[in-house]
Amino acid sequence: MPAPVPGRTPAELRAYIEGPDPLSGEQVLRALIDGLSRPLSDRDMDGVAFERTRDRLIEPGAEEDLQRLFQENGWTDSLPVVLPTEERVAAVLAGTSHAPDEVVGTIRAATSRDFWSFTVEQAAVNAVMAGARPEYFPVVLALLASGYTARHSSISSIGQMVMVNGPVRHELGMNSGIGALGPYNHANSTIGRSFGLGSQNLQGGSVPGVSYVGTIGSPFSLTSLTFAEDEEHSPWEPYHVQYGFEPGQSAVTIFAPVRSLITAPSGVREDWRERASVLFGSIRAGGGAILLADPLAARALAEREGFTEKKALIEWLAANARMPARRWWGQALQDIFYGNRARDGVEPWASYLKADPDELIPVNEPDDVHVVVAGGRTVAVWSVLEGWANRRFGSALSGRTLAIDPWR
Amino acid sequence: MSRKITVLNPEGSAPEVDGKSLAPRPTGLDGGTLFLVDVGFENSGDFMDQLQASLRERRPEVATEIVHLRTPFDPVPDVYERIRNEGSAAVLGVGL
Repeated sequence: MPAPVPGRTPAELRAYIEGPDPLSGEQVLRALIDGLSRPLSDRDMDGVAFERTRDRLIEPGAEEDLQRLFQENGWTDSLPVVLPTEERVAAVLAGTSHAPDEVVGTIRAATSRDFWSFTVEQAAVNAVMAGARPEYFPVVLALLASGYTARHSSISSIGQMVMVNGPVRHELGMNSGIGALGPYNHANSTIGRSFGLGSQNLQGGSVPGVSYVGTIGSPFSLTSLTFAEDEEHSPWEPYHVQYGFEPGQSAVTIFAPVRSLITAPSGVREDWRERASVLFGSIRAGGGAILLADPLAARALAEREGFTEKKALIEWLAANARMPARRWWGQALQDIFYGNRARDGVEPWASYLKADPDELIPVNEPDDVHVVVAGGRTVAVWSVLEGWANRRFGSALSGRTLAIDPWR
Repeated sequence: MSRKITVLNPEGSAPEVDGKSLAPRPTGLDGGTLFLVDVGFENSGDFMDQLQASLRERRPEVATEIVHLRTPFDPVPDVYERIRNEGSAAVLGVGL
């Protein structure tokens, strides 16, 4: 059935309102009026109250039956999981000093849904299922305690990118080198998978068509692109230091919503500025931008292009990636995110609203441009991702940098 | 036969559902004001414009007023209060 509202002309909308409902056959307008004024029964008026409690333990079963049960209940990412026996959960719980019954926080699939709460033990169950080792658990807790979900229900099929900074990268043997964002490191993969499985189960599900509405889905959702920054080969300060952490502290950053990853066809050559303007100008306006640079690309940007300070590179990217104002404001849902700020006089959006439709305006402000470093130092490759973190205007969608050490 | 094992439930704790009942329905809309709430998603404002035009033509005895939410993501108590005081019913348009 075609969507009745988005992309429809006024005449089509009027025809839909005055025509038959595609499911019931009743005129949409009449059904609407009836729904507002039809008398309600006593039962309707009674209201309903119930508690959705669940047992801590599942009915004992054979391993293959339990694997099937977990799949059927929507508790997995459609891949086999490590079954969370009491012994395995206890082992993961040993990875933190926090009590099993401590409430970690709340999480929900979308702003229109209820918050569910969860304990340290419930988080540990999901870490076991993802295959995480006890020593990874503080990172998993930091991610899940954030309140951000890795299973956000949005029609635009969003994913996340998770990056770890600080000493914990080496303690856990995380990968910041060759294949950092790929399926080649146990800690990277299972920490990211724990975030995903934990999100969907602790928030009460992520069921397509019910509690997940992403039209095409996101391939980033399996492990949330989890990797470690290569602080040692970066010419700039570590990412978490930009946001108030000491280099010796461990932190994890959630970038969201991540919908795209574009890898530049060339390294850092003489045409880098032209290519960067095009690629950073092609992503969602105001959606945040991340430059993911292999250490060789980062070094070339610092030494050849003169961006010895990360801040200068960010400001250059923000100033030079532009698009016409009509395209900036014509993007779906843009008024929801920026229209009111612009009308309230908040800059730069107020000026963007006044701009001539053909005027080229910045795709992202500097606060929404991020530079991170990872890769195998085989070639000076660089990629562009869309995503927010540490915004001056926070939202349920954007991510931030979180302390890991309090969860040890 | 495979050995049976015991595992933990991976779900979080659901919020308790309290005893909210449906709002009393008006016996009719004639003479009252029907608020048409545009929550701001794609094309929902245009949809409400057309719904208002259709009601004016087919149900002129029903007064309508369109209100636009500043954001669909946060509560808007001032709008709820206005609808409660001035309206007999409201239609929320999500635009999907």
